[in-house]
Amino acid sequence: MATHDVPIVGDSFQVGYRFQRYWDTPMANAFFCGELGAGLFFVSLWFGFVPGMLTGLLITGILKTYFHISHMGVPMKSWRAMLRPDRSWISRGLISIMVWSAFGFAHVLNLWFDLETVLGFGSIISGLIKLVAAAAALMVMTYQGFAISHSTAISLWSSGLMPVSSLVYALTAGTFLTLVLGWNGFLAEQPDKLNLLINGALFLLVVIAVVLLSLLHGAHHGSPGGRTSVELLVKSLYAKWFLGVVWGTGLILPALLLWAASGSYAAVILAALGVLAGYYAYRVLIFKAGVFEPIMSFRP
Amino acid sequence: MARYGMVFDLRRCIGCNACVVGCKQENSLPDGVFFTRTLSEEYGVFPAVNRVYIPTLCNHCEDAPCEKVCPSGATYTRDDGIVMVDADKCIGCGSCAVACPYDQRTELDKKSFEQGLYGEGELTPFEEQGYSRYTPGMVTKCDFCSGRVDAGLDPACVVTCPTDARIFGDLDDPTSKANQLIRERGGRAPLPEKNTRPKVYYVD
Repeated sequence: MATHDVPIVGDSFQVGYRFQRYWDTPMANAFFCGELGAGLFFVSLWFGFVPGMLTGLLITGILKTYFHISHMGVPMKSWRAMLRPDRSWISRGLISIMVWSAFGFAHVLNLWFDLETVLGFGSIISGLIKLVAAAAALMVMTYQGFAISHSTAISLWSSGLMPVSSLVYALTAGTFLTLVLGWNGFLAEQPDKLNLLINGALFLLVVIAVVLLSLLHGAHHGSPGGRTSVELLVKSLYAKWFLGVVWGTGLILPALLLWAASGSYAAVILAALGVLAGYYAYRVLIFKAGVFEPIMSFRP
Repeated sequence: MARYGMVFDLRRCIGCNACVVGCKQENSLPDGVFFTRTLSEEYGVFPAVNRVYIPTLCNHCEDAPCEKVCPSGATYTRDDGIVMVDADKCIGCGSCAVACPYDQRTELDKKSFEQGLYGEGELTPFEEQGYSRYTPGMVTKCDFCSGRVDAGLDPACVVTCPTDARIFGDLDDPTSKANQLIRERGGRAPLPEKNTRPKVYYVD
């Protein structure tokens, strides 16, 4: 077990904590876009909001794919990433994205062009398409959390709360984007749904706060490496970003705006931008604060 | 079937880094890429200060986390326990790199292959011959010099070490020096709490 007093040594030939540097900003972008798109789709699906579903599919299908390809060392062979669903969460995730894209677009087309009537297939088929699209979107929202929590190498990531944070952040971002996109559309005509979304958004912000606190608490008490990561996030190198953007802009500001001025479209847009900024910062910082522990140390 | 592993005798290692150079030459590694490193640590308070050298390389774990997370099937374990990377199958996603608790995976940056060791965009015949075994952009690691092992030789870092601080052998063979050292001097595995069951041990 490493001791806590060992320094962070970067890439030098010394004993100490080393930053993980393999998954950086492009991968954080891919994680962010994947969960954001799937979250927007899932919430929009719940409310039958077709523009939201389509936007979610496009965000994930185009942006997530682009950022993954830009990160990949050998992009021409990226299709091979789907070959080991028996053991790899990346394979499972890629397959679920393909299933979600196919069934999600089929559901959107069905709603838009009323294919159930035009093509004459029954409501059971429509329901099945919707169910598979929802299940696959749920998988896309969570698999990245499973992918990083599956590894024990980086203590900050090795937590069962990682997939939970992915799911909650995806649902929160999806809820805020549905509020923004549907404000002058279906939400203007259905105030009960508007209230449900606003109350849901407030509830999800509280859940995120609880999950983040639990995540930090678990990492801090789990191992010296986890404690080092937590200190990077709340005390030293990344504290101003984590506390200022993830907590301040991403959680506290949107909660205050929704609580004080939920009837204002401008306030909802501002709150949504704050949530997205906080969510993106969270994704980037979780990667940046991940450290490998020294393999052994002789310090007393 | 043998179960290959390595023992580092920390009393013998003098931190000369000859193993690092030998490894780089044997494996034709581009600039900035290392399959093995000799880390140093200073501890204590003057005048009772001490320095120790801790060699590191891939631990060829029995329960290799890099193999478990590989989505393309590029990482696999041979029957003799050596964990390998198939250059034709690796997609360079880096999931193995973030899964290895020992930070022993390394990405082969495409620029290194283009610029060459001298950074002038021209490869020497040595580089041209050596780089052919890799796919630019792949993530790779030490393979205990599997080609040399197959030919009955020890890994390059072992034969280069001037103090015999690196001992390679069959961990299941009670007559092998590696096995004897682990038994007699209580070999300890790095980061045992990670449950990867490494096949590299340290004795001090």
